[in-house]
Amino acid sequence: MSSILSGTPNRRALLRGGAAASALLASPAILRAQTRELVVGGAAGHKSWVEEIVVPAFEKAHGAKVIFEGTRSLVNLEKMQKNKDKPYMSVVQMDDPVMILAVKEGLLEPLTAARVPNLAALKPGTVHMDGMWANYLQPWLGIAYNTQAMKAPPTSWADPYDPAYKGRIVLPSIQNTEGLANIFAAAAIATGLSLDAAQKDADAGFRKLATLKPNLLTVYTQQPQAYNLLEQGEAWMISSAMSSYALERKAAGAPIALAAPKEGVFAMPSGIAVVKGAPQADLAFAYVDALLGADMQAKLVGPTFSLPTHTGVAAPAGMPAGMVVHQIDWANVARERGDWLKRWDREMSL
Amino acid sequence: MRRRIDPVALLALPAAAYLLFAYGWPLAALLVRSVHGPGGFSLAPFAAFLSDPFSWRVIGNTLSTAGLTTLVCLAVGYPAALALAWSRGIVQVVLLLSIILPLSVGVVVKAYAWQIVLRRDGIVSQALVGLGLWSEPQRLLFTETGLVIGAANVFLPFMILPIYSVIRLLDPRLRAAAATLGATPLHRFLRVTLPLTLPGIVSGIAFVFSLAVSMYVVPSLVIGDRYQTLATLTGRAFLFMRNEELGSTTAVLLLAMAVSIVVGSTALARRLGSTG
Repeated sequence: MSSILSGTPNRRALLRGGAAASALLASPAILRAQTRELVVGGAAGHKSWVEEIVVPAFEKAHGAKVIFEGTRSLVNLEKMQKNKDKPYMSVVQMDDPVMILAVKEGLLEPLTAARVPNLAALKPGTVHMDGMWANYLQPWLGIAYNTQAMKAPPTSWADPYDPAYKGRIVLPSIQNTEGLANIFAAAAIATGLSLDAAQKDADAGFRKLATLKPNLLTVYTQQPQAYNLLEQGEAWMISSAMSSYALERKAAGAPIALAAPKEGVFAMPSGIAVVKGAPQADLAFAYVDALLGADMQAKLVGPTFSLPTHTGVAAPAGMPAGMVVHQIDWANVARERGDWLKRWDREMSL
Repeated sequence: MRRRIDPVALLALPAAAYLLFAYGWPLAALLVRSVHGPGGFSLAPFAAFLSDPFSWRVIGNTLSTAGLTTLVCLAVGYPAALALAWSRGIVQVVLLLSIILPLSVGVVVKAYAWQIVLRRDGIVSQALVGLGLWSEPQRLLFTETGLVIGAANVFLPFMILPIYSVIRLLDPRLRAAAATLGATPLHRFLRVTLPLTLPGIVSGIAFVFSLAVSMYVVPSLVIGDRYQTLATLTGRAFLFMRNEELGSTTAVLLLAMAVSIVVGSTALARRLGSTG
């Protein structure tokens, strides 16, 4: 082998190497028997903390190997559908709206208290559709702002409507999950209702949102682009912004911060579920249980700038004091989203 | 009399086989899907799409940005092609490199660069304010003008190169002959050079228009979600809404536009070529 490494292979070394390689290829069963593999599908943006924090701890505890496939939620859904008869992924970590689609298409295996004991310790409203999926973390949505351009942090969801911010506001498209919050926040400002009650009055929200158009710099679908504009001062506010992204950029030294408006913030839940017919089912449920457990969540809330869902875990340091967290009615979203998107296209276009 | 296959035609076999697999087959699947839903063959998706006024706005956006981009490329590209063809030596090499090299820079990189250039405090805004043309800084980013400027930058080489290749083949003695007969430079250009280079112009227009009508990355980064074109709508239908019916409908409409431009311009170029 040393001659191969030093770059001057001789014929004998190559033959030896080739023979060893073909022996390995011929006996895959032996290799597989040694370690159990668990394939987890999730968001590309989660890859770093999953592979640095979750995977090593889980592999050590269970003597298994975890492969994390980071992509988009909808791509994960596509993979589950295409491999419905012979799934290769065991666990998925996806946004709640996509979980609803997966349930509708019969792709998930319900979580039970027997197989996932930590379910019992979760906060109310974090286990969905009779245990089809649960939330392991809750990033939250506030208003991100450039700390150099803004003299004072925004205090209300109504602040971006101030004419002083002409051409300085960036919104997420409502095709992005974090964009939905704007409809509800606008409805709450327009009607005076709470962020919970206002979710039923999307119509009021859209009428209010249309008045924001003079202030809009752009509507993004790619988060990095939006933060680029914010950090360089072309945009002054992103409404609404995910804590998991905005606070990570802030921690990296970007001149931005995330404000929690006085009306409250929205939880942007990260869901986890077991794929129906999953290979290594026991391992899959153990993985879900680990992510719902207090130990793991305590390790994750800091690096992901998120709220825990386990009742025994405290919120990470640096969260705004007295922040009121509201839940989004995802079933309502799943019903209405197609129509909302149509209306958004027509009323918010240039 | 039996016709024999020209053996030279066999040279096209690898390309033909590749295109059949990588392009023809998926394209056929797309065409079938656009007219064949769960309920059998139907043109209903097209009727539904075309009866929505918003769709016409999207089609209008698509055609106007592609048309304007093509015009800008032609206005900037034609003189550049002349300069390239008539220059000699090191100058020509430098010109050629400056046209070819930008092609190696990715579209995403270019689009991000335009985001910086077209900002309110960007160089374009500063220059126009400095020249007194604008009274205050404005942004071109996320406007239709900005999109056309950015797209023209990306597609300009596809206008210059076909025109250049035609000009290069022109016999310089034709212009000399016109000059000896007393034609002014303007007259020489309008009556000799321009008509003879029309085939190059037509194929440049075909290239740039078909690229610009279907561009996806440039609009999504330079103008954003508030300005939908057929290409961005198609991408969203497949990638986000999971609406294959809508996606294949818009994709087929886009294809029809691009194909009619390419076929029409090829026919035109052939006619101009034979009469010119």
